[in-house]
Amino acid sequence: MRRALGIGLWVAMVVAGLAVFLLLPHFVSDFHSRDLAQAGAFFIAIIGLDLVTGYTGQISLGHGALMAIGGYTTALLVVHEHWRDVWTIPLAGITAGIVGFVVGLPALRLSGLYLALATFALAVALPDLIKKFSHFTGGTDGENFLAQAPKQVTGLGGITIFGHSMTQNHFLYYLTWSIGIVGFFLAWLLVRGRAGRTFRSVRDSEVAAASSGVNLAATKTVAFALSGVYAGVGGALYVIQNEIVDPLSFTISVSILILVGAVVGGLGSLWGLVLGALFVEYLPTLSTHVSTRPGVPDFVYGAAIIVVMILLPTGAGGLIQRLIRPLTTWLYTRP
Amino acid sequence: MLFAVDWTQLAQQTVIGLSSGGTWALLALAIVLIYRSTGVINFAQGEMAMFSVFIAWSLVDHGLAFWAAFFLTIAISFAGGVAVERVVIRPVEAAPVLTVVIVTLGLLFVVDGASKIFWSPERRTIPNAFSTRPIDVAGVAFSIQDLGNIAVSLGLVVLLWGLFRYTKLGLALRAAAANPDESRLLGIRVSWMLALGWGLAAALGAVSGMLTAPALGSFDQNLMQPVLLYAIAGAVLGGIESPLGAVVGSLLLGVFVTLIGTYVGWVGTTLRLPVALAVILGVLLIRPTGLFGRAEARRV
Amino acid sequence: MGRAVYLVAGLLAALALTTGASGAGSSTPGVTSTQIVIGGTIPLSGVASAYQTVGRGAAAYFRYVNAKGGVYHRKIVYLIKDDQYDPSQTINETRELVEQDHVFAIFNSLGTEQNLATRPYLNAMGVPQLFVASGALTWGKDYAQWPWTIGYQPNYIAEGTIYGRYIAKTAPKSRIGVLYQNDDYGNELLTGLKRGLGKKGKLIVSKQSYDATDSDVQSQIAKLKAAKTNTMMLFATPQFAIQAYVYARKLGWRPKVYVNAVASASNIMGIASNATDKKQTEGSISIVFLKDPTDPRWKKDPGIKLYRSIMKKYKGVHPNDVYNVYGMSVAHSFVEALKKAGKNPTRASIMKAVTHLNVHNDPFLLPGIAVRTSPTDHFPLDQARLERFHNGRWVAFGGLFRVR
Repeated sequence: MRRALGIGLWVAMVVAGLAVFLLLPHFVSDFHSRDLAQAGAFFIAIIGLDLVTGYTGQISLGHGALMAIGGYTTALLVVHEHWRDVWTIPLAGITAGIVGFVVGLPALRLSGLYLALATFALAVALPDLIKKFSHFTGGTDGENFLAQAPKQVTGLGGITIFGHSMTQNHFLYYLTWSIGIVGFFLAWLLVRGRAGRTFRSVRDSEVAAASSGVNLAATKTVAFALSGVYAGVGGALYVIQNEIVDPLSFTISVSILILVGAVVGGLGSLWGLVLGALFVEYLPTLSTHVSTRPGVPDFVYGAAIIVVMILLPTGAGGLIQRLIRPLTTWLYTRP
Repeated sequence: MLFAVDWTQLAQQTVIGLSSGGTWALLALAIVLIYRSTGVINFAQGEMAMFSVFIAWSLVDHGLAFWAAFFLTIAISFAGGVAVERVVIRPVEAAPVLTVVIVTLGLLFVVDGASKIFWSPERRTIPNAFSTRPIDVAGVAFSIQDLGNIAVSLGLVVLLWGLFRYTKLGLALRAAAANPDESRLLGIRVSWMLALGWGLAAALGAVSGMLTAPALGSFDQNLMQPVLLYAIAGAVLGGIESPLGAVVGSLLLGVFVTLIGTYVGWVGTTLRLPVALAVILGVLLIRPTGLFGRAEARRV
Repeated sequence: MGRAVYLVAGLLAALALTTGASGAGSSTPGVTSTQIVIGGTIPLSGVASAYQTVGRGAAAYFRYVNAKGGVYHRKIVYLIKDDQYDPSQTINETRELVEQDHVFAIFNSLGTEQNLATRPYLNAMGVPQLFVASGALTWGKDYAQWPWTIGYQPNYIAEGTIYGRYIAKTAPKSRIGVLYQNDDYGNELLTGLKRGLGKKGKLIVSKQSYDATDSDVQSQIAKLKAAKTNTMMLFATPQFAIQAYVYARKLGWRPKVYVNAVASASNIMGIASNATDKKQTEGSISIVFLKDPTDPRWKKDPGIKLYRSIMKKYKGVHPNDVYNVYGMSVAHSFVEALKKAGKNPTRASIMKAVTHLNVHNDPFLLPGIAVRTSPTDHFPLDQARLERFHNGRWVAFGGLFRVR
């Protein structure tokens, strides 16, 4: 009986979530749909980071670089090969996944701090590398869809899908969050199953995992590759929304932003990540709304991050778990 | 082929590399100190150092003599470091490492924002601790400032070494960082040891800032941002727990980056940093704890 | 019942008349009978936030104009959004200005890459992109392709050309070394230099670039010295220009220096002089088109007096910052264009006004400099004077250069 209630509650939550997703654009301005779409792109990248850092314990401070790989793959395919922007997303994810795999290789030798610094170094170096290979990447000017390939931009001026016509902003919102929901669902399946247990065992104790027969090398590199795919897809969507990319689109600040989103959302759990994505999307704007006096937005931004971390050291996910624990305990124990 | 090299140019660029590395070494020392006493990389170390420079500037601007301002700034920065640890770090002392990292990132923005609230963004200078008169030795030019920065770094390394090795306080600091629970059982006030570590690092950062600003000609709120990157790289190269490693690593990094930028055409200036980071990565893969680091024994 | 119908009909008619007359929101976004709304993106935070006074100076000037009644009884509402110097953010903020704030025009947005990113969008939407705060050549050159976009300041190629021509004429045996920032700004100054040197392009013996994210340029200066150059072109931002002077002195080297306008403000030169010695900066050459508020020669100048009173009364920030003066000049030109655009300005009429400018009374520009455009000349400011740094002050010499 309680189990049925538990399942019922769960289903109701999922349905409510889907309803919010479908109907939200009609309650916010057309313009805000684009902000929400960008939050969605961050959300996908944050899931990726959570998989490798929260679940597998491998610290990555370079996810902005993996987003950049995905974003540039999309940009180059659109501008140079004349692909339609949306069809580049899978390839962007795969490319970033491969790079993620390569990034995972040093993880076999480095741990903790050193791995964090190695990934940090990658994120710092990537903009310079992009600038250097300018004949390939467009250099400091980057790639601008509206200037160079306007026909490949989906939805410009409005679009009709499945009989519904909608603005470009709404289209981007639905595109991003559909992919986000699918990605979330896949991640949820993953962490519930054997792969999730393997990841967590590596996080909790590498020695114990290895002596239980876990292939450390395979697990770590697969985790990195998987998180790379997510970051690449997030980066591709980010570039598609902005219709432009250049070396400054993905500086170390983006890596930091994704990390903040993952930690605020809650490492090692999935449910709080949406909140983490909304936090990093809206905090900068809110900081500027407090005051535009020089220095105040930066101060407010930093202070907000510190306060959230002090109040919620395990992030929103941790809070959610603490809150629903009495409920799940009640639901799943025999009376 | 060997004799086709312009030896003077090579020597000059090497000296320049040592000079650049010397400015990074001071900040690298602060980073190592924080890591060693609290187990955290403080991403806000550069901004805190920059804030100290502005304090020094304000003191001089209000009429204080340079050296008085210099030491007063160190004292103020020490107090500031302790205060920051008490207010911002203490609440998350027991939290996961990444949470603390995020807090230091938040601190970076807070300090940066505060510096922009109190001081306008125009370029300023502070007086030079050392002379910049050019000295010429066999066609290679440098100045007392270059030597001074390196000398101060090495002097601080000796001081830190003495502190950690030969004083009770240093022992308590190391114990608190290595094993907080057991240290408490021994009566060490672990919390205050962490605060002390932050205070010392902030003081070191102040020295770093006050010597770096004249070395780079002028300063504003962005002073330490590129330096932080190189300082972390230098510290990691040398072994993140070793003060001597921080200095040697930064000097080596400076020379390497300068020579590579000068002599390898396709690297030029754009790829100096990525190449340097790639080399550091390579070093870490061979020696995961850096040049001077000791291998950690971990409890299984 | 009958009377009620007449009453309602009368009210409806009155309503229809008033909405028709005010024109609010009907055809021209951002224009109502009481105000006109414009907006732009400026880096208020992040690495380039030192340039924010370009926007703040303009905002102060608009507050001054509004206090005097505005333009045709409309107050100018100037929205500044922070793009943190990141082109992706510039796009977001610009979209917000156009689609949510419904601005009449985009005005005084800062940055070359930043405005390149938004130019296709704004031109596709038919939104004026006025007085771009960047010295790239394209704002004035490519108007056929991008008719809604126009720049303001003398472009970097023109500036480099002035130096090149001057050197070719007065010092044809120089050995030139160039320190330049590795982006459009530095590259365009270098291109202009080569153009100005013409056949004497070989005088450039060494070119050293640096990135804005570098920590120091010691190595580059050493290479310039080792190449035995005797003339140093500083196509760098203030931070690195100061470094260049400092490192040249450390190497015991005293070349003749040409420093670009972005880095030549009096307080920057003051810092460079104090950090080295007076002789290192003596004789440096630059161009100038604005009045620098810290320059003693403008102490009694009515234009600078107006500047200072506006800064004081209308909440300006950093009164010694010359970028404020730039902001006021561009705001002044916008107001002149707005007056020309007629009592009921439209986006088309403001574009017509800005391409037919002939302003001679800008109090913030050097005497003799006019803001002039025509349908075939989309360069509002293309005049400057050479100036030489002597005994700690800039002294103008020669006449007004006009460079295209």
